[in-house]
Amino acid sequence: MKYLSEWDQWKRYSSKSWKRFIEKAREMTTHLELWREDIRSIEGKFGTGIQSYFSFLRFLVLLNLVIFLIIFMVILLPVLLTRYKITNSSFILIPSQDVDIQCTVYPISSSGLIYFYSYVIDLLSGTGFLEDTYLFYGHYTIDGVKFQNFTYDLPLAYLLSTIAYLALSLVWIVKRSVEGFKINLIRSEEHFQSYCNKVFAGWDFCITNRSMADLKHSSLRYELRADLEEERIRQKIAERTSEETIRIYSLRLFLNCIVLAVLAACFYAIYKATIFSQEHMKKEIDKMVFGENLLILYLPSIVITLANFITPIIFAKIIHYEDYSPGFEIRLTILRCVFMRLATICVLVFTLGSKITSCDNYLCELCGYNQKLYPCWETQVGQEMYKLMIFDLIIILAVTLFVDFPRKILVTYCSSWKLFQCWGEQEFAIPDNVLGIVYGQTICWIGAFFSPLLPAIATLKFIIIFYVKEISLLYTCRPSPRQFRASNSNFFFLLVLLIGLCLAIIPLTISMARIPSSKACGPFTNFNTTWEVVPKTVSTFPNSLQTLVYGITSEAFAVPFFMIICLIMFYFIALAGAHKRVVVQLREQLNLESRDKRYLIQKLTEAQRDLRNRLD
Amino acid sequence: MGQCLRYQMHWEDLEEYQALTFLTRNEILCIHDSFLKLCPPGKYYKEATLTVDQVSSLPALRVNPFRDRICRVFSHNNVFSFEDVLGMASVFSEQACPSLKIEYAFRIYDFNENGFIDEEDLQRIILRLLNSDDMSEDLLTDLTSHVLNESDLDNDNMLSFSEFEHAMAKSPDFMNSFRIHFWGC
Repeated sequence: MKYLSEWDQWKRYSSKSWKRFIEKAREMTTHLELWREDIRSIEGKFGTGIQSYFSFLRFLVLLNLVIFLIIFMVILLPVLLTRYKITNSSFILIPSQDVDIQCTVYPISSSGLIYFYSYVIDLLSGTGFLEDTYLFYGHYTIDGVKFQNFTYDLPLAYLLSTIAYLALSLVWIVKRSVEGFKINLIRSEEHFQSYCNKVFAGWDFCITNRSMADLKHSSLRYELRADLEEERIRQKIAERTSEETIRIYSLRLFLNCIVLAVLAACFYAIYKATIFSQEHMKKEIDKMVFGENLLILYLPSIVITLANFITPIIFAKIIHYEDYSPGFEIRLTILRCVFMRLATICVLVFTLGSKITSCDNYLCELCGYNQKLYPCWETQVGQEMYKLMIFDLIIILAVTLFVDFPRKILVTYCSSWKLFQCWGEQEFAIPDNVLGIVYGQTICWIGAFFSPLLPAIATLKFIIIFYVKEISLLYTCRPSPRQFRASNSNFFFLLVLLIGLCLAIIPLTISMARIPSSKACGPFTNFNTTWEVVPKTVSTFPNSLQTLVYGITSEAFAVPFFMIICLIMFYFIALAGAHKRVVVQLREQLNLESRDKRYLIQKLTEAQRDLRNRLD
Repeated sequence: MGQCLRYQMHWEDLEEYQALTFLTRNEILCIHDSFLKLCPPGKYYKEATLTVDQVSSLPALRVNPFRDRICRVFSHNNVFSFEDVLGMASVFSEQACPSLKIEYAFRIYDFNENGFIDEEDLQRIILRLLNSDDMSEDLLTDLTSHVLNESDLDNDNMLSFSEFEHAMAKSPDFMNSFRIHFWGC
């Protein structure tokens, strides 16, 4: 009998204990996963489509938490350490040169006694006592923090934190969506979902209760029938005559013009509402009734919510007449709603931007922005974003409390009435809910520059929404017969989030690079625009590094770099095309091989028969 | 429904099962508990066997349309020993590798056990999935022909194991749907 040597025995023992340690660590980290049990139970009761919505919500909570940690480390921590004298540091305040003294006037209203209802209004709109707190940009009027060994450049840190959280969000979203995208690339079929996937991976083996199983059966029936129907419609479309095609395309053009007109009308309404709200916000509080004040403050949010409520209904009606296949119809409607929701925020921000930079007296040339109305315009933009976020949360809570629960109660207890029977229990509409939270996240991304504590508020808001939606799902919703597939859903959610991120970056870049920063408040009082921090910092670098940086950003470098990137991209596209051709050739070869095999087997059986006949 | 002798699992047995399967420690103990509740009284758990009906009535498999095939594939001589149940749970666990799942999925879906998934097998799979009485012949033949169009690469009207493997590697939902994580606790 052979025995293992001492060395082999020790190697085997150590590899086993290492594997055991890794497994224990993995088990422990799964316990740390947030809301694991809740999401598992939702998956068991309502299917993987709805579970993917809640996983997406959990991802956004983590993303916002990490963004807030970045902002806290980079901006808040030095300020707090100095203000509460925890470290031996001091603020550096450089008085602004070459700037007119009028631009630095910032009248902060500080009243003695605050009435309770104006306290509530201040809490809901970020004005009054909240204006000069850590919540908004205007509080950080500090040019640097002097520690014992080094000087901490706060303006540069503020700008870099913004760029950092945008880059982090982009990288994290792309990383998460890579799996879904890879699978979409592998699939060479034209249609969206393959039949193999639906037949062999159609049944969810996790299902343990009877009602969920019945639901899964009916949803599979619906899905497979809908796919075959879509196939038939696609064939019908391919067989269209040319005059029918012309008629359909001209009808589609007309209907798309109607869609654009509806969008333009909504954007104009938001523009008007924002201007009205901004102009009347400056009136005295005691001259107005309580409700009127709140109404004017929240007017843009109200108009945006109404527009987002009406337009999906209009789009759903219009798309009926455009005669697309059912799958494409759903996708196009969702795309239009996504664009509508996210573009409304951009319209709001651009309206604010236009108001800030337009003025009809000499002060605009003086400071570059409308100093009279907006002495500290970044704080005011931050306040608008704060109001949007609070209003969004209030609407979600109100809809759950005043629409979902009464509906459930009415349908359960007054089910004898025909009206309630027809109306039925509500289903969890995934696209609307996803658009809602992507809308909230886009507001957070835009607003985090103007209001550093906004990501923390967003984290809390998403945590509240998780629990509210979970309770609403468990107690008021019935599972829908039309189920979203998890693989589709994940890719769709992250795509919509990516669109939101791109739409959030546009207003931020314009406000950072074009609009002059406030001279009365904030860390950028000594710079022309926010972006100017970077060139000024680069000019303090040693000469060799400076020339390197200037070289990289000059045209002499950028144009060849761009051309090389294009060449690399064309190379990969050509490579992908070549691989596709190889795949087609290999499939044909397999076909030929099987035909050869059948031919040979046929010949073999014939030969065996001849042999047997000859033997007999 | 008797109760086996309530022995606690030995530490070495637990380590061995952990090393040999894809299951975590908690999952193995959980399956041990469920097994003890079902097995006949007075027997040691390593020697006791469960019938196919008992395993089919586990909550994890109760409503599965393929439970008879699952039981047939994972049982030996139509009975389940404790290690057969562990093996079944291991294949369906989250940590199992794709190739193992694809291999067992192929065996489960091969109803007539001829080593290929042919048209007859496909029709039976679709009937089990849809679980409806009014199924038109056209629908069945349509679906079967679509599935074969997509995955039958050598045009012999059946799916061999490599063709099935290739199709499941492309399928995005397979790993998510082919798992069971609730075995009774």
